[in-house]
Amino acid sequence: MTTVKELPVQDYFTSGHTACPGCGGAMVARIAMKVFGPNTVVYHPASCMLIFSSTYPNNAFKVPFLHVLFENSAVCAAGIKRALNRLGKSDVNVVAFAGDGGTADIGLQALSGAAERNEDIIYIMYDNEAYMNTGIQRSSSTPFGAWTTTTPVGSVHAGKVEFKKDVPRIMMAHDVPYVATASIAYPTDFIKKLEKAKAKKGFRYLQVLAPCPTGWKAESSKMVELARMAVETGIWTLMEYEDGKYTVNRTPKFSPVQDYLKAQGRFKHLTPEDIKKIQDWVKSKWEKDKALEQVYK
Amino acid sequence: MAAQALAAAAFREGNHALAFPFFGAERRGAPVLAFARVDSKKIRQRTQVYKPDYVVVLDDKLMGYVDVTAGLKEGGTLVVNSPLPPEKIVTERPVKCATVDATGVALEVLGVPVTNSAILGAFAKATGQIKLESVEKGIMDIFGARLGEKGGRKNADAARKAFEKTTAGMSVGGRKFKPVKKWLPDYKELPLSLGLRVTMTEAGRVGPGSFDVNKTGSWRTFAPVLDDAKCTNCLICWFYCPDGAVVRGEKHVSVNYDYCKGCGVCVEVCAPKALKWVRTEEVEEKLPSEAIA
Ligand SMILES: Cc1ncc(C[n+]2csc(CCOP(=O)(O)OP(=O)(O)O)c2C)c(N)n1
Ligand SMILES: [Mg+2]
Repeated sequence: MTTVKELPVQDYFTSGHTACPGCGGAMVARIAMKVFGPNTVVYHPASCMLIFSSTYPNNAFKVPFLHVLFENSAVCAAGIKRALNRLGKSDVNVVAFAGDGGTADIGLQALSGAAERNEDIIYIMYDNEAYMNTGIQRSSSTPFGAWTTTTPVGSVHAGKVEFKKDVPRIMMAHDVPYVATASIAYPTDFIKKLEKAKAKKGFRYLQVLAPCPTGWKAESSKMVELARMAVETGIWTLMEYEDGKYTVNRTPKFSPVQDYLKAQGRFKHLTPEDIKKIQDWVKSKWEKDKALEQVYK
Repeated sequence: MAAQALAAAAFREGNHALAFPFFGAERRGAPVLAFARVDSKKIRQRTQVYKPDYVVVLDDKLMGYVDVTAGLKEGGTLVVNSPLPPEKIVTERPVKCATVDATGVALEVLGVPVTNSAILGAFAKATGQIKLESVEKGIMDIFGARLGEKGGRKNADAARKAFEKTTAGMSVGGRKFKPVKKWLPDYKELPLSLGLRVTMTEAGRVGPGSFDVNKTGSWRTFAPVLDDAKCTNCLICWFYCPDGAVVRGEKHVSVNYDYCKGCGVCVEVCAPKALKWVRTEEVEEKLPSEAIA
């Protein structure tokens, strides 16, 4: 297994991109590209990552790159892969990097279609938990209670009313070869999952928590720490669904969810009842995770 | 927000005022441009301001590669956030110039290096076009709406403090700027492989992997400085740097200041605490000499 030190020195996602300082998405792209290497084609839907990595006429990805639309990442990537196969270049990794909005909302039908056909692509959702590129609107992947410009803090509602959509479980329902979640705060786990995704054939889905200093209203220097607290509180599960087997990769410490919430301005309005709701949600999520491990052994 | 607060201040003095940002992809910390247009009569012109009476520079590092006085009217005034006196400010031609260490003021009053309120105090002092009281009210209107009464008041205090500290004079001319080449080919002239590999054009490299022409080092307010002796070469900062601005070495890492945006992630993740956080002035000589925004 590759350690941090063994990763290639060479970057395939270069400096000079225009992501905000501390951008979790940029970390995901840079680390993932180190693992995928030069024999890769990248697809982006409309998203922060598209805008900060490719501003005409420059691009931060050192590999062939395509953007078509916001809603069809999985199917465009599948098309690229099929075309490469026809050209006899079946060894090329085709990777779609999409945001949570582009995945959990508008891109879901294309994603489901490609997964059902078991298209031979890697799909990475970098989850910054809102539509950041257009100025922080809620997505179905935005967590409960989070302020966004479309879930404002008012007298009737304060932040998002609904809980986060569980896309990994939707992907599991497609019974694809590989579904995993990761957090940048756990380098070896993250690298391992990227490598597994690279090595496998068929549809591979990876969802990585990508803290966003701007949208989460948090210190740019704290992004890795937040990604760690999300896991340690149990809010973000590190899981893997591999060839029909479900594994939780890390048992959280279950530190109080406040630790994670209070470090972010998007949660600053939460009442003790809201926080309790989130704590209860963590508990029921963990019970489901344990049950899933029993079902998919 | 500075342009908005200035417009609000001018409005409070009975003027007509417009404030609007430059349209483009905007990122935290990236160089941005905003305009305010003020008149005693109704304003019909809605375009960007191309020939301003006043230019306000919130980040003096920009002046190394943007000719901030390019459109400034004859006799116009330049207001710069800089700890240097006006006589030390080098522009393309000598212009009326006022300076204030707005970053210092902001750090002192607000605790964060956000200078868009403080600089308005300097604007009021330097131009005499608007009363400090109006500026404070304008700030309360705009910043107060976002940050609440207390936050608004603090920002108004920053403006007052900056007003007191502003010095006026003339800048010195003589800075030379290379004309920036733009590459805007017709679609028929686009090289076929544009999406596939780096291509050389008259404006430099374009295509995949060419973004390193963009030196993002100018974005920083704080910079990480490494104590070589303390670095254990664990490479965790190198792993996390979202800008690829940590460079691996034999014995220890180093920082590539051409690209470091100063997010501070490396400082936070450094277990042996070999990285220290300092204001950029202290690493000035390491700044990119020629950055493209
Ligand atoms: C069909 C369509 N609708 C809306 C947009 C505008 N748009 C561009 S990026 C974006 C938000 C993307 O959010 P997400 O996928 O979460 O990525 P992020 O920017 O947060 O990284 C939107 C709404 C678009 N480009 N196309
Ligand atoms: Mg998003």
